[in-house]
Amino acid sequence: MKSRFVLLLALLVGLGATSLEAQTRVLSGRVTDALTGEPVVGAEVTVPNTAIRTFVNDDGSFTLGVPTGAVQVLIRRIGYKRYLLTVPAGQNNVTAELERDVLQLEEVVITGVATGVSRQNLANAVGTISGEDVAEVTSQSVEHAIAGKVAGVDIQQNSGAPGGGVQVRLRGTTSINATAQPLWVVDGVLMSDVAIPSNQNAVTAATGGNNPSLTQDGQVNRIADLNPEDIESIEILKGASASAIYGSKASNGVIIVRTRRGRAGPPRFNVSQRFGTFDLSNKLGSRTFEDAAELDGLFGAGTAASVGFTPGVSFDHEEQLAGRNALSSETSFNLSGGDEDTQYFLSGLWQDDAGIMENTGFEKQSLRFNVDQNVGERIRGSLSTNIVHSLAQRGLQNNDNAGVSPYMVFPFTANVVDLSRRPDGTYPTNPFERSNPIQTLGLMQNDEDVWRFTTSGRLEFTAARTNTSELRLIGLAGADYFQQQNELFFPAELQFEDDDGFPGTSLLGNSDNLNINVNGSAVFTFAPTSGAATFTTSAGIQYETRDLNISRVVSRGLTAGQPNIDAGTNVAVNEDRQRVEDLGFFLQEEVLTLNDRLLLTAGFRADQSSANADDTKLYFFPKFSGSYRIPVGGVLDDVKFRAAYGESGNQPLFGQKFTPLDATFNIEGIPGIIVPPSTIFAIVGSPGLKPERQREIEGGMDISFYGGRATFELTLYQKTISDLLLTRRLAPTSGFANELINAGELRTRGAEVSLALVPAQSADFNWVFRTNFFLSRSKVTNLPVPTFIPSSSGFGIGLGTIRIEENKSPTQIVGNTGFDASGNPIEATVGDVNPDFKWSFTNDVTYKNVNLYFLFDWQKGSDALNLTQLLYDIGSLSADFETAGSTRRANGPLVGAGDTRIYVQDLSFLKLREVTLSWRLPDEAVANFWGALRNVRLFAQARNLITIADYPGVDPEVSNFGNQPSGRNIDVAPFPPSRSFWFGLDLGF
Amino acid sequence: MLRLERAQKMKPYRYLAVLLPALGLSACQTLTVPDFNNPGIEELTGTPTASAVIAAVQGIFIDARSNIANAAGQVSQLGIIGRESYNFDASDPRFVTELLIGPLDGGTPAFGGNHWFPRYQELRDEFNALNGVDKLLDTEMAPADKAGARGFIKTMQALNLLLLLNTRDENGIAVTVNPDPTGDPPPIVSKSEAFTEIARLLDDAQSDLGNAGSSFVFQMPSGFAIANTPATFLGFNRALRARVDVYMQNYASALTNLVASFLNTGSALSTGVYYNYGVGAGEVANALFDQSEVRIAHPSFETDAQLQGSGEPDRRFQNKTLRLADPVGDQASIGIFSDLDFTIYPSPSAPVPIIKNEELILLRAEANLGCAGTAGAISCSGDSDAALVDINFIRQNSGGLDAIDAGAWAALTDEQRLDELLYNKRYSLWWEGGHRWIDWRRYGKLAELLVGEPASFTVAQRYPFPVQECDARATPPAQGC
Repeated sequence: MKSRFVLLLALLVGLGATSLEAQTRVLSGRVTDALTGEPVVGAEVTVPNTAIRTFVNDDGSFTLGVPTGAVQVLIRRIGYKRYLLTVPAGQNNVTAELERDVLQLEEVVITGVATGVSRQNLANAVGTISGEDVAEVTSQSVEHAIAGKVAGVDIQQNSGAPGGGVQVRLRGTTSINATAQPLWVVDGVLMSDVAIPSNQNAVTAATGGNNPSLTQDGQVNRIADLNPEDIESIEILKGASASAIYGSKASNGVIIVRTRRGRAGPPRFNVSQRFGTFDLSNKLGSRTFEDAAELDGLFGAGTAASVGFTPGVSFDHEEQLAGRNALSSETSFNLSGGDEDTQYFLSGLWQDDAGIMENTGFEKQSLRFNVDQNVGERIRGSLSTNIVHSLAQRGLQNNDNAGVSPYMVFPFTANVVDLSRRPDGTYPTNPFERSNPIQTLGLMQNDEDVWRFTTSGRLEFTAARTNTSELRLIGLAGADYFQQQNELFFPAELQFEDDDGFPGTSLLGNSDNLNINVNGSAVFTFAPTSGAATFTTSAGIQYETRDLNISRVVSRGLTAGQPNIDAGTNVAVNEDRQRVEDLGFFLQEEVLTLNDRLLLTAGFRADQSSANADDTKLYFFPKFSGSYRIPVGGVLDDVKFRAAYGESGNQPLFGQKFTPLDATFNIEGIPGIIVPPSTIFAIVGSPGLKPERQREIEGGMDISFYGGRATFELTLYQKTISDLLLTRRLAPTSGFANELINAGELRTRGAEVSLALVPAQSADFNWVFRTNFFLSRSKVTNLPVPTFIPSSSGFGIGLGTIRIEENKSPTQIVGNTGFDASGNPIEATVGDVNPDFKWSFTNDVTYKNVNLYFLFDWQKGSDALNLTQLLYDIGSLSADFETAGSTRRANGPLVGAGDTRIYVQDLSFLKLREVTLSWRLPDEAVANFWGALRNVRLFAQARNLITIADYPGVDPEVSNFGNQPSGRNIDVAPFPPSRSFWFGLDLGF
Repeated sequence: MLRLERAQKMKPYRYLAVLLPALGLSACQTLTVPDFNNPGIEELTGTPTASAVIAAVQGIFIDARSNIANAAGQVSQLGIIGRESYNFDASDPRFVTELLIGPLDGGTPAFGGNHWFPRYQELRDEFNALNGVDKLLDTEMAPADKAGARGFIKTMQALNLLLLLNTRDENGIAVTVNPDPTGDPPPIVSKSEAFTEIARLLDDAQSDLGNAGSSFVFQMPSGFAIANTPATFLGFNRALRARVDVYMQNYASALTNLVASFLNTGSALSTGVYYNYGVGAGEVANALFDQSEVRIAHPSFETDAQLQGSGEPDRRFQNKTLRLADPVGDQASIGIFSDLDFTIYPSPSAPVPIIKNEELILLRAEANLGCAGTAGAISCSGDSDAALVDINFIRQNSGGLDAIDAGAWAALTDEQRLDELLYNKRYSLWWEGGHRWIDWRRYGKLAELLVGEPASFTVAQRYPFPVQECDARATPPAQGC
């Protein structure tokens, strides 16, 4: 590796002298929008290859000290095309009319750890979303705001519970047993996206059945703490060919978030106020009983009399549970400004969303302060800080074995009884089941309280600069700390609470997570005066630690109903500590040549990690890419062909390399050590455990038409993931459940097509249309271990489960189609979780001061295991029981003929995800009203307003086991979905 | 030109001169992070310490109670198949569909594939503990203490294998573990080979216990109070051996071993060795205690009960059940109901019997009766009068029933005498580990359990192997997969 650095050194020593000429004349000018003639405030005005820089003022003017001779001036502003002009020696006054770059062809996309490339030269299909697009409609977790906006990015929420819990899948299935989430990099810091279970399992006993995994707790992945309104831009590296430079953590892709920063100019203050509400968007319904005989026939003689059944009277339990439409609000502000040397951005958020059930909701408060400071001409320091508090009240959801999760109780509770709160505040007892969900939600608490502090400091030092070369040294240090507290309280009055002999349950979970990052990198650019090529060499080192410490207390039998955990008569504690240390090195060379038309990149990353069995070994991840823009005449601006290859990894998780024993049990206080008594933890660690390796090749074509008013992108890719972290099922007679090894191969292929059009562009009428289509197909191409069922992917073959088989899709659902003559079940592939395709459509139409924006998201295919419907059918209480449910029951698993296919159902849907209608008050009217006001915007918006789906479950986005690489779409008593409506006002000062 | 000079001083190599050594220093550092959460298996398989080995021996108590008293554990599930109980848990209708209608599916870990993995985890721990004892120097653990530990471990190993054999029966079981857990799985041996191995382990343990000192070197929970020294533990060892003898129909050997067991008509019928449960941190609760009226008694327990002289039903029925206000039905609306709740395990820390005096007395009766054959063709060749003494003892002292007089007894057929014995085993050992299913199966009487049940119901003969066990073997066992 050192030899590469010697080469770099030799390159750098050959530098010519610097030529910073004296600034002796003042250039003044005016910059306006070519279409409207309005000033382009905040545009950056620079003299290329110098540190000379200023920003355009509110009135569109700027002044800039420049050298005496003829000089080039470059004017840039996001959303406009670059404007480069040569100012002759004698001219001191310029005007510039900037053309809009609606489709953002010229934006610089961050592709390396410290380098970027103009979008028009990009060799990968990197997805980008601007902050404005992210903030179109308010969202609780940032992933909601990405859904449907980038091809190849599959976003699926796990349930309708407030506060997040969303899976992001970049370009299909990329793993089986390793982590499924992409890497989030926020202002250079690796931001933790862990999902920490609340431990509600202690009450639901979801793991008491077949599946001993806390993943059924409906957990929130912690990127939910990011405030979507602070985002300047999001860049999505969808696979190894783009993300190789992030090495062994980048297999699931990398999402790079930059937060908003200040711009030079007078202080600007924006404030936004929203009011809205959440509304239950779908219900399942329940069987109606005609007469007492029908009820008695199902529940036994005398039932109608004992529950007080009145023919014709029924109660909508779902409405009683989740019919709340309480007022939600969101207040946000930001303040930004500064001068040429100091810029600041300050923002705040106060979000208070009321959930559709009692005691559910989501609150978030955020304060961000970003500041940039130039020290002389060569040093630029940047500081980003964010403190966030969020409180998610998640209610109770998903699988359970204690009869407490609402949609596990309704399938067995006839709608002939009123379960709602009585005027005196008490609740009726549910005569059909162990709990009354309306009472449970009315009295319980499930609070996930998070405080998070994320900060990063970046120092960029232009160590040397000549008219042909530049060396920048960049140091970055960051920390991301959060503390999550899960407080769950189930008071003794709850109907189910005395079932275990310990009325009242209090659960407390405290989790601390600290990620620390330190990066150092050097970027050397060399552009010979001939203009033949630009060389960019970057090299760096990255050190990172991740510490996670979770401690949990379960306290049962609360004396006098006191919720403190020490008031319990039966207390159990649990602690889990994890630490990972990573060290990485990277080197990358980019060459831009042939009139900026050919871009070639080569580089590699070398990583070592404490999570690997050999913690001293470096694993290398190379990358190569190239793109060429062909100039074409006529309506085509240019056509770009591109190809890229890269490798990346997916680390083993902490602890996977060990073969642990369990020392946490005792019998009457007598301690013992045993093999962990669980199929999840009884694992033999392989002595050679290393990262999974993804090799991705992608190729594509980008066409831009009509002077940048239309773009078309086509990308094909193939990912091959080898050295999969596979759990080789050991024979149970070994006493261990699994051995963790690197083996096997998975292949994912896919296509992405994006089209963006600006059908109309004028001073009064603008219309931008975008559509993204993508699909992927995966196959297990080599599986040297027996067919296996990954953890958290179902409840046995009879009910349907994901199963990993050679030459089959890693997301296939396997079930029984019945029984053969000798009574053995007949197994078959009965479905696939992976959608056939996803297709989204966005329209953004502005007529004068009125703007309409809407986003449709369409998913075709994708199968679910609708076990919620199975429960309703088993309870003989599905709404269509008499017409269809009884037939399903008779043919389906468990109580019927055993055909799993009955409950494997299609999840195709069309959702109107986002819609906003806004009206910007005429500027004159605003100015007349109050001089300090810059703009006023009124808006109405909604999220998930319309869902069209044949799926008979509450929502086609569902995952009982949370974020999983393959074990998704399992519908067991989810939190029902909601839509939200908002009205609001933005003020700019 | 001043500016130019300053810039030249900042030649890039200066910075690289600082950067490169930094890179060189940081490359290939070890990033060692230990397992913060658990001890490693090396602590037993490497060079163990005496305290680690003692902890491993004590761990066997924790293993032994696992999968016994949980909702899907051996007492509950074998109770359902043996028509001792129901589980009407709405969340999982397989307690009705798979266990009462069938067939048992080796693909469902909590049902047809159950009662296997936890037992082999225990066998692995027993292997590790025995290995650990062998590896300790005599200075670390005295030879007499080692002998005591070995006697204990082998006895528990035999009990463990017996529980396995009870569920798999004719399918057979593996009786060893491969020292390398990732190696080939151990062979499945036949039922009779398994019985031979269980008997051998118990007899080996007997001689180890003979070489032991006056006390064990490890701690024992209260359930082992009557067997907490090597000498008294032998009484437990012999009791298990007698049960194995009866299961193997070695009746003479059974009577010999019962003499050396803790059988004593002078002590309480409940005297015995128990699994302990608890509710403290790190403990496991007895989930057979359940106030949700989900795990309830089979109604035949009431209808089959004999009457006392007073006309009251068998006292064992009265003591072990409580009548509910309303009958509870199965949630899958198949149409079975019960209004009998259990009172047998009155708290989440109630112990569950492994073997108790009452069973030993009935084993003696069974050995004396000496029956063989299957339903409809039962013949008994033993001392039926000696058997009657023990049967009457239990009838009177446990059931509150009248004694059967010698004349009436003599008038009964062999099969009727066996039925009377089985009646008493059923009522005395009800919901304590599937005795009814096991005993009825031993005499080919499982079809009798279906009386009065819906036509779709069946009684499983035995559990299949879990699908993982079949998948992991190049040649799956001949039957059970």
